[in-house]
Amino acid sequence: MSRVLLHPLVWTAIVFAVLPFVAGANPFTGTGGFVDIATQMLIFALFASGFNLLLGHVGELSFGHAMFFAIGAYVTALDVKGYSFDLFGHTWTHVADNNMLVALVLALVAVLVLSVLLGRLIIPRSSGVYYSMITLAFAQVVFFIAFTWSDLTGGEDGLQSIPRPVMPGFDPAFFHDALHFYTFTAVVVFIGLALVYWLTVSPFGSVLHAIRENKVRARFLGYDVNKFRVNAFVLSALFPAVAGWLWTYFQQAINPDASSVGYSGNIVMMSMLGGVQTFFGPILGSIVYWELQNNISQLTKYWEAWIGAVFVVFVLLSPRGIMGVIENVRTRGIGRTTR
Amino acid sequence: MLALTLSQLTDQLVNGITLGMLYILVALGLNVILGLMGVINFSHGAFFMIGAYLMYQFAPMVGFWPAIGIAALLVGVLGMVFESALIRPLYRRIPEYTLLLTFGTALIFAQLVRWKWGDDAVRVATPDYLANPITIAGVDFPVYRDIFLVAVTVVVLTLVWLLINKTNVGIIIRAGTRDAEMVKILGIDMPLMFTLVFGIGSLMAGLAGALAAPIYAIQPNLASQWIVLTFVIVIVGGIGSFWGAIAGGLLIGILSSFMSLLWPPAVDLTGYVLMGVILLIRPRGLFGVEGVFE
Repeated sequence: MSRVLLHPLVWTAIVFAVLPFVAGANPFTGTGGFVDIATQMLIFALFASGFNLLLGHVGELSFGHAMFFAIGAYVTALDVKGYSFDLFGHTWTHVADNNMLVALVLALVAVLVLSVLLGRLIIPRSSGVYYSMITLAFAQVVFFIAFTWSDLTGGEDGLQSIPRPVMPGFDPAFFHDALHFYTFTAVVVFIGLALVYWLTVSPFGSVLHAIRENKVRARFLGYDVNKFRVNAFVLSALFPAVAGWLWTYFQQAINPDASSVGYSGNIVMMSMLGGVQTFFGPILGSIVYWELQNNISQLTKYWEAWIGAVFVVFVLLSPRGIMGVIENVRTRGIGRTTR
Repeated sequence: MLALTLSQLTDQLVNGITLGMLYILVALGLNVILGLMGVINFSHGAFFMIGAYLMYQFAPMVGFWPAIGIAALLVGVLGMVFESALIRPLYRRIPEYTLLLTFGTALIFAQLVRWKWGDDAVRVATPDYLANPITIAGVDFPVYRDIFLVAVTVVVLTLVWLLINKTNVGIIIRAGTRDAEMVKILGIDMPLMFTLVFGIGSLMAGLAGALAAPIYAIQPNLASQWIVLTFVIVIVGGIGSFWGAIAGGLLIGILSSFMSLLWPPAVDLTGYVLMGVILLIRPRGLFGVEGVFE
């Protein structure tokens, strides 16, 4: 019984149930419980958990994962808003589609195709910091395309007034309520996180861990290391696509910043703050990030400097993040924060 | 579409070379650090930006020429302090941690710059005798952009080349690039060398920033605009390679300059497309050495 109760997914469900009542809590003014902040936290928890499949479980730092988030978001926005543009002497039109599940499938397919192509291009040719630089550069390509191709993407302003989600079997007014949308997000994110959890404890996950610890040994054991790396890359790109899908409906707007260095970096920061190599790390990281962001940005418009400072302190002193600190306190070990 | 005149082509070639000079300075600074220390400095773009702002700060106080020197030197000192305080504790860990740390500090630098100099773009005036173009063979060359900037870059590159290839410090740096541990065993103070090299690399970023100040609008997002492109130049040229940074910087400068004639919307993408092609046919970059950076 206690093993069931202590299961990470049970804890996740409990956190999700409490979050809308405490998110954005400010100890000085006593306010808190902003549902929208809780929704943000969950969407980014899914985004960061998908990203962390790479950083935490394969040990590879992708600095461009925002591109998958952005593409998921843009595909969704274009599907539900429709578009019409001229290219190669032909006018391409798409009539607005009002089924959010269709948008989800399209977003996943788009990201699947891109991540397979990129994974096969990048992964056999690079590793380490080189890999980080290249993924960052490709995310920048997506940023420039979204920024420049105004006919399709709305350019710098992006796409606005995206309709609220519509799903067969639901009253369209259902999603207008913030708490309803939060609940829907929580269900989707929970399913996503359960998949992430299952992947990391599956035999596939074990191979990834073997690659993380020692690529050469993993190869000698007969695993096609690059194939596993590509597969992990593709899988870790799909979760940000779902997060992007949710984000578009949540914000009802999307702009090129979604693929910027800033977004990719924020995801890295969230995972590191919470603690990579753990299931809860990215979830906790996302919650802490938005909590800090919300409180500090009310005090100063230079809030990013403070988040950067918190992050720098963690990189220097506790590279295993908050989960590492918790672990240390629990085992009463001292000086175990270094890898 | 291709009714280009010869003068248009020369103009773009000259523009491209000018742009390339700045790219080279920034990318070579990053590459020197990367080659010796295996450290990617995400804050390198911030150092470039700080160089530009220091130029803006000092040019009216001490004059145009001294301001360039002061800006570059201050950024070099900043780099050395930065390395010894923050990067040194991370040497025993995998290189990704340095990338993460310097990403965090880049956020801090960007906000400090906003706090000190505001969000609005600022400009630095070029002195009159440098602002006016001179005419050679019927083509106008703005003195500052096309002659002064190129001359300064060539001088700096020569000095760096001499430092790396003809001095004892250079010998240690080159040996350290191959095998830092072995050099340390030979009794060389490697942490001191690292700090020195980091200072030189940062100084080049600061110098590029100071030189770019009269050409570009200086604003707080300059750092993030430049850093990714610098990475691309390093990837195209080859990690840790002196000539790679020069070839990559010039190539991307000139190609994007011509692209602005052919198809303006794609200007920003030029370098990235080139990077994709290089990755396909020569993953180590034009001048990269196999296995230097695994």
